[in-house]
Amino acid sequence: MPDEPRPDIRLTGVSKSFGAPGREVPAVAPLDLRLAGGSMTALVGPSGCGKSTLLRLIAGLERPSSGEIRIGDESPDDLRKRAALSVAFQDAALLPWRTVAGNVALGRSLARRPRDAGAVSELIELVGLSGFEAQRPAELSGGMRQRAAIARAMASAPELLLLDEPFGALDELTRDRLNAELPPLWEAHGATSVLVTHSVAEAVRLSDRILVLTPRPARIAADIAVDLPRPRDAVVLGSEAFRETCGQVSAALREGQAPGRLAAQ
Amino acid sequence: MSGALALRGARLPGGGLIGSVLAVAVWEIVARLTAQSFFIAAPSAILLHMTEHAGLLWRALGVTLWAAFRGFVWGNLAGVLMALLVVLLPRGERLISTLALLVFCLPLVATGPILRVLYGPGDGPQVTLAALAVYYTTFLPVLVGLRAAPQGWFDLVRSYGRGRMVALREVRLPAALPYLVAGLQIAAPAAFLGAMVGEFTGAERGLGVLTVRALRALDLPATWSIAVITSAVSVLAFAAVGWAGRRLDLAPPQVLLAAPGQARRSAWQGPGEALLALGVTLALWKGTMELFALPRFFAKRPEDVWAYMVSGPGAEAHRAKLFAAMGETLAFAAPGYLAGLALGAGLAVALTLAPRAAAFTMPVAIALRSIPIVATAPLIVWALGRGAAGTIAVVAVMIFFPTLVACLHGLARTPRAVLDLFEVYAAGRWRRMLGAQLPAMLPAFFASARMAIPAAILAVTTAEWLATGRGVGALMATVASTSDYGMLWSAIALIGLAAVLAHGAVVALERVVLARTNAEQLAR
Amino acid sequence: MTFRTPSRRLFLGGALTTATAGLILPRRALAQEAVNFQLSWLHSVQFGGSYIAQNKGYWSDAGLEVALQPGGPNAPVEPPVVAGTALVGISAADYTAAAVNQGAPFKIIGVAMQKNPFAIASLAENPVNSPADLVGKKIGMALANMPVLEALCSINDVDIAEIEVVPTQYDPAPLVQGQVDCLLCWATDLPVAMEIQGVESVTMLLADHGYAVHSQTYIATEDSLANRRDQLVALMKGEVMGWQDYHADPAAAAALTVEMFPDSGLDLATQELQAERQVPLMFSDLTEAEGFGWFTDETVAANVETLALLDKPVSADLWDRSILEEVHG
Repeated sequence: MPDEPRPDIRLTGVSKSFGAPGREVPAVAPLDLRLAGGSMTALVGPSGCGKSTLLRLIAGLERPSSGEIRIGDESPDDLRKRAALSVAFQDAALLPWRTVAGNVALGRSLARRPRDAGAVSELIELVGLSGFEAQRPAELSGGMRQRAAIARAMASAPELLLLDEPFGALDELTRDRLNAELPPLWEAHGATSVLVTHSVAEAVRLSDRILVLTPRPARIAADIAVDLPRPRDAVVLGSEAFRETCGQVSAALREGQAPGRLAAQ
Repeated sequence: MSGALALRGARLPGGGLIGSVLAVAVWEIVARLTAQSFFIAAPSAILLHMTEHAGLLWRALGVTLWAAFRGFVWGNLAGVLMALLVVLLPRGERLISTLALLVFCLPLVATGPILRVLYGPGDGPQVTLAALAVYYTTFLPVLVGLRAAPQGWFDLVRSYGRGRMVALREVRLPAALPYLVAGLQIAAPAAFLGAMVGEFTGAERGLGVLTVRALRALDLPATWSIAVITSAVSVLAFAAVGWAGRRLDLAPPQVLLAAPGQARRSAWQGPGEALLALGVTLALWKGTMELFALPRFFAKRPEDVWAYMVSGPGAEAHRAKLFAAMGETLAFAAPGYLAGLALGAGLAVALTLAPRAAAFTMPVAIALRSIPIVATAPLIVWALGRGAAGTIAVVAVMIFFPTLVACLHGLARTPRAVLDLFEVYAAGRWRRMLGAQLPAMLPAFFASARMAIPAAILAVTTAEWLATGRGVGALMATVASTSDYGMLWSAIALIGLAAVLAHGAVVALERVVLARTNAEQLAR
Repeated sequence: MTFRTPSRRLFLGGALTTATAGLILPRRALAQEAVNFQLSWLHSVQFGGSYIAQNKGYWSDAGLEVALQPGGPNAPVEPPVVAGTALVGISAADYTAAAVNQGAPFKIIGVAMQKNPFAIASLAENPVNSPADLVGKKIGMALANMPVLEALCSINDVDIAEIEVVPTQYDPAPLVQGQVDCLLCWATDLPVAMEIQGVESVTMLLADHGYAVHSQTYIATEDSLANRRDQLVALMKGEVMGWQDYHADPAAAAALTVEMFPDSGLDLATQELQAERQVPLMFSDLTEAEGFGWFTDETVAANVETLALLDKPVSADLWDRSILEEVHG
């Protein structure tokens, strides 16, 4: 349970372009945004629309070309320096020479938290990897790797949790299971979370708010609040409200395509 | 250079024992039939010599191994530290790489006497020459390994607000470990040979001393015993490092050799860096000699070389002599270099097209790599004569093996999906080779072309010194024996310059070709 | 004055002093001075007299502790002598002349080989008995030795263009394998090796055909001659005594060499034969009369003449007899 309310994330005029000076390609158009502390926001958009770039900007892994990002009264860099944020990467980014336990423990040691074998094995149990502590990433399935990566991201008890398509490479069944099992973990912890995904159902199922992005450069095509009760069990997922929200997001996605393409020209 | 990977295929196939027995029998018969020519010692004679002189050989082996071991440690330490320095100071890469290449190109005729004077009696020169023989081939792969981690791993470290040192400890160093093992594998035989050659600078005992003695005494069993011991030690050292690497359970390196660093940012930066490298080289050259107060008589400073070659009396004659010798050397080195590269790449292609042949070829190739150039050069020259063919063959043999292994590695890295695509359209082996595998091989090919430059220089000068008596190699040996150290140092400077220029040319060609075929290699 | 009980430290200090004295005093009693003596090749009976001097204490008796530094294929003698790390080096008049022409401050202070050991070795069925026989032959040699062949031809009116030079390593294999008809080598090593291997060879000593170049010469710098005279005299005195013993019993010198350097891979029979073969090169009527290592103005003049042919012009000043005069005087 959060001890104090998490601060909001504020983006003011944030944009990002890549490429050599004079030949910049815009990836994120100037954005103004406010993400509520303690909430889970999903960034949804077609492949390559710049949603991962937006996430990396919030993580402080990329510098914005213009504008400013604040988390409360801190910058992303301040947060990183306090090891108060963590990222679950798209490709898991597990170090191949460390075991599962070693990779999860790395989440603590990189965050300068004291060693705690108990906490590590508890996390491993929570993500359902008990019995695989001593395995190397190469010996795990894709789903198991993502579980390990999420356990590692949780290991430092972050205030800000950034999930970059963590289930993107998984099959539908595995994805569904992880969607069901993992959210209680971070909900319990109460971190402000940002999830990048291209799955509409996943976005609706996991988040409190969905930002639908247009293709490059990323603009906000729609801002949809997900007003569904938690936990989002089978009843919720089978409800009309769930389907309706999904339809809303899908429609926004379809609409978002056209102006985005125009803007790029 | 695929390290641990390559040796796995090296185990003799099932009928190996019978094959080996047959080979030894043929060897024995040929040796006995040609006994009059004093060229091949029979296995029985070698065995007899080894048993009769077991004590002497063991002691000599111990002495040389001990020097080689220390050189191995120091040289690899230096190689790793240089690679770390480049990673921590990326701007210094060109400078450090150039200096590393130049020092690696220093010929024994120059370093031998200086080391002997610096160290006085003892085995300091042997240890140093062993270290010099290994640092470069460790520096290059370790540098690649330190950079071989995907961006995501560095992002992981950064996302916790940790800096370069943590990235080094948690990501770069572990990622470089398999590359280090591959480098150490190449280094192990090289250190041993370096220590042996180091004994040529004046030593009381060791296998190098015994080699010189045996060659002069026309003592064939002794010469061949030492050659057998040397080869055995080299192969064992190679295998031992590979075994240790496998015990560490390291994944084999992904790309052992990568394209050189980032593209230049502006037009003047290239010449600027070149000038800086030149300046630092000259300063180090002079500074080291002054620091150790080496007499000018044999330790010529840059200004002495300038006077000798440009401003002093007789400079024109000196230039004419040196350039003529250099021309002769290049006339042999260039075809040998190209032939070696073509042979290595060609054999790699052939072995990939006919994989079954690889099981028989690789053990021979590994054994060949472990045998010293000083031993093979006279053999090749004996077989091919003292003319152009012999020298070109020596150079080609010297560089063909590393090229072969690197190219095999590159071919094996063709993405599975691309191969499947060719499979789907039922493309033939040749079509697949041309369309998919050859482009995948190019980065490894160019990397070995860069590494082959100092190897080719070493080979051609050695062959000239030992066999043909022409070119810069012979000139350096001659002038060293007549104390003409001005010419010796001018030759060293010219060789160093040629090496750097050749290296630069290969890098430029590499960039042009890879930009078309393997753009992703240049991105990082 | 107060009485002080000896403390533990004092006691320890005293013990240390005694121990150190024990280590140093015997040396100091003999005033041992350590010098390096740079040989021109790997250990062999070629330097037999020096080993005798070492073994019988001719140097240590004179207060000199001599370390014999072996040479090798890549260990020129001149640099350590110039640098002062070696007091004396074993060179040859032609090498010394070349070094002096390059600015090395050397003097020749003694001559071990009165006759130059360079020879042309050939096989009995196709012998080279005189320089004229070289015409039309293939000679194997290190290219560094080209001036030697040129000088021999010039002295004996042989057209060098008629000789085919094949660059070889310094080993007898090319001759035995028939790659060449003859070899330019030292009379005391390759022919000895061939004989031990059962290959009969013919040797023609260049010194018998006008090639007068002192070999196995002792060189030292002018600085050492000015400032380290006592050491030079002591070293040369030991050499002279050692080589006199050698002359009396070359076989014993060979045995001593093999015994002193068990790790050098020396073969007793080879060493004995070599020891015997170098006697006529080192000892002559001149050394009989004046002592080992001696040279006269006449022999020096002959050297200067040959060296001029070798394109290594020197003056007779290169030779300095003062050390030998002190030794023998």
